[in-house]
Amino acid sequence: MSVLTIAMNTFRESIRNRVMINILLFAVGLILLSIVLGEWSLGEQIKVIKDFGLSAMSIFGLLIAIFIGIRLMVQELEQRTIYLIASKPIRRWEIVLGKYSGLALTLIVNVILMAVTLLVVNLIIEGRIDLGLLPAVFLIYIEILLIVAFALFFSSLMSPQLSALATLILYMLGHLTNFLYEYIRVFPDKGFHWLLKGIYYIVPNLEKLNLKMAVVDHVPQPPHVVAWATAYGLCYIVIVLILTAAVFNKKDLK
Amino acid sequence: MAVPAVKIDHLTKIYSADLGKKPMCAVDDLNLEVEQGEVFAFLGPNGAGKTTTIKTMMRLLFPTRGFVEIFGIPNLSVKAMRSVGFLPEQPQIYGYLTGREFLDFTARLFRLDRSTRKKRIDDCLEQVGLIKRADGLIRGYSRGMMQRLGLAQALINDPELLVLDEPMSNLDPVGRKEFRDLILELKDKGKTLFFSSHILSDAEMIADRVGIVNQGRLVNTGKLRDLIEAQIRSIEITFIMTPDKTAKLGFEQANIVQQDEHMLVRLENDADVQRTIGDIMRLDGRIVSVVPQKRTLEDIFMTELGG
Repeated sequence: MSVLTIAMNTFRESIRNRVMINILLFAVGLILLSIVLGEWSLGEQIKVIKDFGLSAMSIFGLLIAIFIGIRLMVQELEQRTIYLIASKPIRRWEIVLGKYSGLALTLIVNVILMAVTLLVVNLIIEGRIDLGLLPAVFLIYIEILLIVAFALFFSSLMSPQLSALATLILYMLGHLTNFLYEYIRVFPDKGFHWLLKGIYYIVPNLEKLNLKMAVVDHVPQPPHVVAWATAYGLCYIVIVLILTAAVFNKKDLK
Repeated sequence: MAVPAVKIDHLTKIYSADLGKKPMCAVDDLNLEVEQGEVFAFLGPNGAGKTTTIKTMMRLLFPTRGFVEIFGIPNLSVKAMRSVGFLPEQPQIYGYLTGREFLDFTARLFRLDRSTRKKRIDDCLEQVGLIKRADGLIRGYSRGMMQRLGLAQALINDPELLVLDEPMSNLDPVGRKEFRDLILELKDKGKTLFFSSHILSDAEMIADRVGIVNQGRLVNTGKLRDLIEAQIRSIEITFIMTPDKTAKLGFEQANIVQQDEHMLVRLENDADVQRTIGDIMRLDGRIVSVVPQKRTLEDIFMTELGG
């Protein structure tokens, strides 16, 4: 129940947060703008709109995850509002899980709003709603959840600026792990390949959660592909949240 | 014998070194017990270790050594916190909530049911004088209102132990008077209060017992009355008598202060007081007053701190 209470309060904080609303409005505006971009593309209007719309969702989801995820936890610590929560009869991990659940709820509302905008644009241009986009949208949500978990973890360890940088680097590395793997395979004798191998095994492969190109190209996505990708993402989320709770559990709230 | 409301046993807190800084011992082997139903004032100058001790009691900091028990239960357990209300120093509260929403949030953290929540929220708002501003956003509150709301959230679970860190620092004189009245009201209900303060007059008015902390160490503790009475400095006798008869009392002239017809003599021990009163009466003098000159809490405080 404490987790739910903190989650609902975090959700309330997020939706009353002007930064998040501005990012969201900008994202929705940009998805709407894809109609114009589509006009400029020669014969590929629908494809460009879908591609651009899904990418906008992914990028703005990342921005919201970084800004809100890091800010919410750091703000609690810096402004010392955490004193009034952590001194109540609740466990530290309940605070972490509550904060994370509230963010997850905020993000699902954001993703739904962006997805509805994309589908409306799709309806206007194509005259039908392409439900084939939904697996990609769902995995974008899982990816954002994963990024938020890391953002929360980093912000329990370091300053907000470093946390944002670390989250951004993780996002980029996460999309480059396939290249890393190829590099290690082709050049196995390079001196620093142990470092690249470490990164490859620790950083989640975010390309596993990327179905954008596939759905835009109408490549069929069997349910087990989405299910495996979801399980992969959720496993990482659980591990990162356990680590965050362990760090927070020992943290002096000065 | 009832378990103490608070037991602090050999508490030590050393802040680990940040970059370029040495480790800092904020609390050094502190032992303290606060009995149930007591109003305990924890006094000390800035940086003495009061807030660190309180934060450790409230599980915000982890002790380097030692432990804290609340009503016999280790403070690190969730159960111990169910009967505690806490007001931090200069509380910061979510500006995006209204006062009522914030109290509802804290009441939920204590798992109060809906009807209890509603009643406690109204009662607490009434108690701290915020009922009329309860539905305004907290970001519009003054510092004094924030302090009152902080106190309301500390009372939301009707705690048996109230821990308050510098509770009167943001209050105006009226607020401080109301606050003192509230503490006395809570004391009458049998609640235990532990508060830190650097405003000694407030502590003197409401505390049963005080502890004085300096450089992380408890340097004195005891019942306020005992501390003050144990430290009577002198007794002043004021009497009316002619100067020639006064000379027969045998005091050196320098030890007697004359103001119009009044004579004042300051004596250090009871035997001298008894003898002098007898002599004054025998010489047909008139005693106006016999006043023990007690040390104030401030005197004791300054002595303990080496001032």
